[in-house]
Amino acid sequence: MRLVLRLLGPACALTLAAASGCSSGSPAVGAGGGMAAAGSSGMAGSSSLGGAAGGDGTTALVCQPDLHPTSPLSLLTRVQYDATIADLLGDTSQPSQSFPPENQVQGFNNNTEVHIANPLLVEQFMDAAEGIAGRAVAANLTTLAPCAGSSVAEQTACGVSFVTTFGKRAFRRPLLADEAQAYNTLFAGMAASRGYSVAVELTIQAMLQSPQFLYRVDAARAATPETGAVILDPYQMASRLSYFLTGSMPDDALFAAADKSQLASADEIETQARRLLETSKAHAMVRDFNEQWLRLDQLSGLARNPPDATTDVKDIGADYKESLQQFLDHVYWDKGDLSSLFLAPDMYVNARLAGVFGVDAPKSGFASVSAAPGQVGLLTQPALMAMLAHSDQSGPVQRGVFVREQILCIPVPPPPPNFNPVAPDPDPSLTTRERFKVHTASAACSACHDLIDGTGFGFENYDQLGRYRTQENGLPVDASGDMIATGETALEGTFNGAEELSQRIAVSPRAQNCLASNWFRYAMGRVETAADACSVLDVQKKFATSGGQFKELLVALTLTDAFRYRPAVPEDM
Amino acid sequence: MRVQKDPDLTRRNFLRAAGGAAALVPLLSSLRAGAAAETFPKRLVLMYTPNGVIPDAWWPTNVTSETAFDLNTIHAPLAAFKDRLLFLGGVDLTITNTGPGGLHQKGIGGLFTGQQLQSGDLFVDGCGQTAGWANGISVDQQAAKTLAVGTPITSLELGVRATENDVQGRIAYAGPGAPLPPMNNPSDVFTRLFSGFGQNSDEVAEQRARRRSVLDTVQSQFKSLSARVSMEDQQKLNAHLSLVRDLESRMAVSSNGSAACVAPAVPATLDPTSEDDMPTIAALHLDMLATAFACDLTRVASFQISTSLNHIRYPWLNSLGEGHALSHEGPSDPDAHLELVTRQTWHAQMLANFLTRLGQIPEGSGTVLDNTLVLWGNEVSEGNTHSHQNMPFLMAGGGWYFRTGRFVQYQSASHNDLLVSVLNAMGDNSTTFGQADTCHGPLANLV
Repeated sequence: MRLVLRLLGPACALTLAAASGCSSGSPAVGAGGGMAAAGSSGMAGSSSLGGAAGGDGTTALVCQPDLHPTSPLSLLTRVQYDATIADLLGDTSQPSQSFPPENQVQGFNNNTEVHIANPLLVEQFMDAAEGIAGRAVAANLTTLAPCAGSSVAEQTACGVSFVTTFGKRAFRRPLLADEAQAYNTLFAGMAASRGYSVAVELTIQAMLQSPQFLYRVDAARAATPETGAVILDPYQMASRLSYFLTGSMPDDALFAAADKSQLASADEIETQARRLLETSKAHAMVRDFNEQWLRLDQLSGLARNPPDATTDVKDIGADYKESLQQFLDHVYWDKGDLSSLFLAPDMYVNARLAGVFGVDAPKSGFASVSAAPGQVGLLTQPALMAMLAHSDQSGPVQRGVFVREQILCIPVPPPPPNFNPVAPDPDPSLTTRERFKVHTASAACSACHDLIDGTGFGFENYDQLGRYRTQENGLPVDASGDMIATGETALEGTFNGAEELSQRIAVSPRAQNCLASNWFRYAMGRVETAADACSVLDVQKKFATSGGQFKELLVALTLTDAFRYRPAVPEDM
Repeated sequence: MRVQKDPDLTRRNFLRAAGGAAALVPLLSSLRAGAAAETFPKRLVLMYTPNGVIPDAWWPTNVTSETAFDLNTIHAPLAAFKDRLLFLGGVDLTITNTGPGGLHQKGIGGLFTGQQLQSGDLFVDGCGQTAGWANGISVDQQAAKTLAVGTPITSLELGVRATENDVQGRIAYAGPGAPLPPMNNPSDVFTRLFSGFGQNSDEVAEQRARRRSVLDTVQSQFKSLSARVSMEDQQKLNAHLSLVRDLESRMAVSSNGSAACVAPAVPATLDPTSEDDMPTIAALHLDMLATAFACDLTRVASFQISTSLNHIRYPWLNSLGEGHALSHEGPSDPDAHLELVTRQTWHAQMLANFLTRLGQIPEGSGTVLDNTLVLWGNEVSEGNTHSHQNMPFLMAGGGWYFRTGRFVQYQSASHNDLLVSVLNAMGDNSTTFGQADTCHGPLANLV
């Protein structure tokens, strides 16, 4: 087994940044902050924030009310698909397990630009629909599609009723006449040739493969010709609310509100949003957000070399992930505010993790270990520290990049175009710090390296399993760091260890705005554009005013223009 | 017991009809009566392994002529196939000299597409460089337009822990910005290919009729919705609709398998994210792919082991360094090099096992191997330099078209030209592929 310290992380950031575009000095960062320069590439009609940036990677937001946010078709993710099928038909078999995973942008798998149909997915939609429909008819035909009559005419009439009622739930709105007509035709034909049960089964199959089910559609069914921004109709708003806050189709109360043409006013939306946030599905939704924001898919298959002969860490990634999710459950639902996210002293362990961390095992499941040494909020969570590490050593580069990009929304500045660096040949006999110095020998390089490494070295108290340590290889750990070029004075300067850094981040407007921006991306299924600036600024302001309350952040998102309006389409005009 | 394979066998025939039992039923059919005697389908497999190679252990040694050379350490497992191999020296990924993206990103994106990455900031590599997807169709999908006309499945994309779902993890593209995700779980591959073996022709006909009715209704819904949405959304719906149409049309296709078309056993439950399961998954994937060829379920496939910039270990080889980090170690770290050579030799072993399997499937007077071409590539030539010059391209098979058993040297040839040659071998007579300005027609001295 090799235990030579390796320099490079999963990111080639260290070497490449060192060898390349750092000669222009420390990047400046816009003071307004909180939004990465991640414009929506290739999305017609939206202007990229990246293009507006002053070359420093971030840009101040400017509200331009004459720009209208986009509202693209949104394909259900696997999580949403399974939840929807469970609500629609009581089928909890999670039929999307064999679907290919969504493409990701900045960790988010509900991004409308890259989560799109592909041949395998379309084939799997068919397979899944056939399985779901078969199970539904076998188990629930009489409740799903009751029919007293037995003649073809009577059964066809029952079919019309089924298409109307089931179709409305599947499409999350009443069917249009031409839509219903197509299903009635299918149903009548199948009922006549193959019988009632087959007709129901195939109608379900067809609905589950139709775009009105597979996509969340905002643009259809304009009431009156309009230009510019059009307020969503009540059913569209019901779907927006339910998929954002519960990850599934609207519940009965949302359907009822939509039936009464409510959900147009801010008050009505807020009432529903607060109601939905009290449901258990909201907890699952927050887990889904955190999985994506923090990119916890990296914990699947986590492989760390065991620290000693007796510690078993094989296939332990799922335990780490649950530990972190329980911490986040606690923060979101017991504490409820941003400060707790970065400062709550809890660590959740099950028996297996208790063994790794040398603490008492809970009697069953997971339990909190409070005031464990070195345990300060999100950034020191065992799962995160283990994820942001190498198999045999800590990962200062990954940790530095993570804090700057995911927590503070400060992108690593890109090197100049077409630069082909050749990595120096590191000397394996040197220590980690000495090896790093090889790469940071010149002032030009260190200007760039200090951005990442100065942050990441602050986490040296946590090894590759996330265990707190004060010594490494018999030497005292040096966990001193230096935050520079953050665009926020209070974040800047030297610090010692993750606790001091977390204290700064817990009160940082940049961190607060960054989290709001990430929630925006999750809620809208896209990276913000210049047209969203008014909405994002509004959310950030309300989040700040509330003292960093998560519920207020989530409610505020549902009240933005980006959430409530869509651009007019030709049919509207 | 042997049962006559249904003449209408398609992969979609019997989704749930047979379950596990079907897998144990050997399937046999004589070649169709009246089928032309010695014209057999050609097949293309793209193979991808990441993070470059160790050149000193990769390139042939003792080279005295095109045909007189020794295989290097990494290719030792391929010794039995030496006369079927075609090494190509001096071929560059010229396409990556310019354009957006990091070196791994544009390497993997351009490798089989011959295209640059689209600009944009969808994907950020570790160095802060940004890019979108590759800007065009990959060579396997282009070849499928010719090859896959008569098969139930257009192509199979198979991955071994290829779980990075962005530009770093995709090698196959249906078109610009349209990557094809690999299947990482052998159980899913098995279900897709073989779960239905065993239906009778009445069941097959009924299932097709029902699916046709359902998909016709589905298509009407796409048209209904399309009329009510924005232009961008219409494009998205149209793309989806064309996939539904393709699904329906392929349902009508019957495959034309050989006597070797025998469904394998149901694979054990495996964890596609686990490093430990990688060798088992790789073996299962390649075995099922060989059977899919024998059954003529598909003629086009790609096979990727992990993704660019991966940080995985190969614990079954006792290689516990992280892939990408290992690949960065310079010449002064012989231990790292040894680990990488061990891994790359294992990659070659996977290819050798696959070729062996193909060589065991009779086809006419020869075997399926005689009618298969494998193109093996990597997104950089050497991890420590990220170079895109002198790329480690290796072809295996393709003997009906290429003069194999050779090590052919070029002077900074553009790999687009190699992709044109591959297309020509597969019966597509294109004279250009990928981005036009880096393509000059097929490579010389191959045919």
